Amino acid sequence: MPAMGKMRFCLILLLHIVIICKSANVDTISSDVKFKNVDRTIDIASQLVKITSKITLENSGKSPVKSFLLAVEASAQSKIAHISVKDANNKDLRVTETTVQGYNNVKFWRVELKETINAASTAAVTAESVFTKALQPYPTAIGQQEDQLVKYNGNLYIYTPYQVMSQKSNIIMNTKNIESFTKVKPFSQQDGAIQYGPYSNIEPFTEKELSVHYKNNSPFLTVTRVERLIEVSHWGNIAVEEIIEVEHTGAKLKGPFSRYDYQQDHHSGPASVRSYKTLLPASASDVYYRDTNGNISTSNMKVKKDSVELDLRPRYPLFGGWRTHYTLGYNVPSYEYLYHSGNEYLLKMRVVDHIFDDMQVDELVTKIILPEGSVNIKINVPYPVTRLPDSLHYTYLDTKGRPVITFTKANVVENHIQDFQLRYTFPRLLMLQEPLLVVGFLYTLFLCVIIYVRLDFSIHKSEHQHKE
Amino acid sequence: MSLEIESMVRYASPINPAVFPHLTLLLLGIGIFFTAWFFVYEVTSTKLSRDLFKELLLSLVAALFSGFGILFLLLWVGIYV
Repeated sequence: MPAMGKMRFCLILLLHIVIICKSANVDTISSDVKFKNVDRTIDIASQLVKITSKITLENSGKSPVKSFLLAVEASAQSKIAHISVKDANNKDLRVTETTVQGYNNVKFWRVELKETINAASTAAVTAESVFTKALQPYPTAIGQQEDQLVKYNGNLYIYTPYQVMSQKSNIIMNTKNIESFTKVKPFSQQDGAIQYGPYSNIEPFTEKELSVHYKNNSPFLTVTRVERLIEVSHWGNIAVEEIIEVEHTGAKLKGPFSRYDYQQDHHSGPASVRSYKTLLPASASDVYYRDTNGNISTSNMKVKKDSVELDLRPRYPLFGGWRTHYTLGYNVPSYEYLYHSGNEYLLKMRVVDHIFDDMQVDELVTKIILPEGSVNIKINVPYPVTRLPDSLHYTYLDTKGRPVITFTKANVVENHIQDFQLRYTFPRLLMLQEPLLVVGFLYTLFLCVIIYVRLDFSIHKSEHQHKE
Repeated sequence: MSLEIESMVRYASPINPAVFPHLTLLLLGIGIFFTAWFFVYEVTSTKLSRDLFKELLLSLVAALFSGFGILFLLLWVGIYV
């Protein structure tokens, strides 16, 4: 019963937080702010769309400006995975999600500047955003030998609530094989990139279709689900296990798959994925890579100076629409990630770790298993996640179960590889509970023997008593 | 209230993992010796020669050493309890 009450309380608290977050942030668009110059770089060479915008802000009003808004159009809202803004000194600025009345279809972020912009002066910032699933394979199905063609649909102009005096866009695709692209003058095309602009005096919220159809054979791998388990032991070890489901989400394979052609010619199957690299922390040891059948032996491990590099080769190459599922685990020593002061502990670890370059993760579930008897658990995550109800985990030498903290996040990319901080209290003497449990068990066994030898089950009286 | 990470020290195991094998062999060795002594005593002593205090003491020492020995055996093989 108390557990139920606790859970209900947690739920109510969560609801409150959600409501507060929803209602508190309402912003207005300042007409004083103008984008004097915008220089966008749209990188579509991998499966992700990475847009880096160098923005020069101008305050054309009279009062100083402390913050400005970033916007994402309705069509790209479900695709945006990460947004971050840096100032001229390369320092991260605070970005919070917000809404503006009258623009319910647009997603806004408020960026708080470190230094206010005075009237008639300018400031430079760099905004970085990452979109997933923004590249559509076209055609949607290809044969084994064919190259993969994809289509990028975006906005020719930066989508913003402010007027833009001048803007340029540079699209990088690292290939000369471009089938077609939007032609709005002025533009120029040179090896593997297209430059658009400069365009001057674009009104706020202008949308104009930009479409590029080009060859992209980079791995289109989506991690549909990753479950990351972190098990802390106060005997000096942290065990990490990742259960990963991967799917090739590029153009589907049309027709049959010929293993003979695939082995014969190394250039066969250009859009398929033979293997990929996973980077683990430098202190990782006892690495295992297996699936439901057992160990997958087609893998290599290289210990480098600052990381452990795994070259993972699934049991079969991955073509469009094919999927695989595996478990990857390793141990790291506790002194790398666990800090303490008396009975207060702090675990500082990555929310999600590298799986492959330019990864996209649909669903991430991170579970942290703490030693039995940990209390006062507080977690601090660098970006919003959905906290799931706490649970208990039972393993060797447990009595009432180990507390498990679980949280989940959708649409995760490499930029989300950041540290969380988890604080908890653990009385050190509780470490003796486990050996004493074994000692108690053995002693009970011996006591049973002591009692057993004193029992007499014989039906006839022993001869010793006769003699007495 | 909550401590800053700078004021905390890195947490290492109270017992260096490098000595887990030695501890296992030593503790489990002593534990098995006392267990054997206890069982030999149980089957050889008669109702008259039996001493309850000696039995309890032998089994306690055997349980203590075997218990800690088993724990370090688990840690040695990689079951971090």
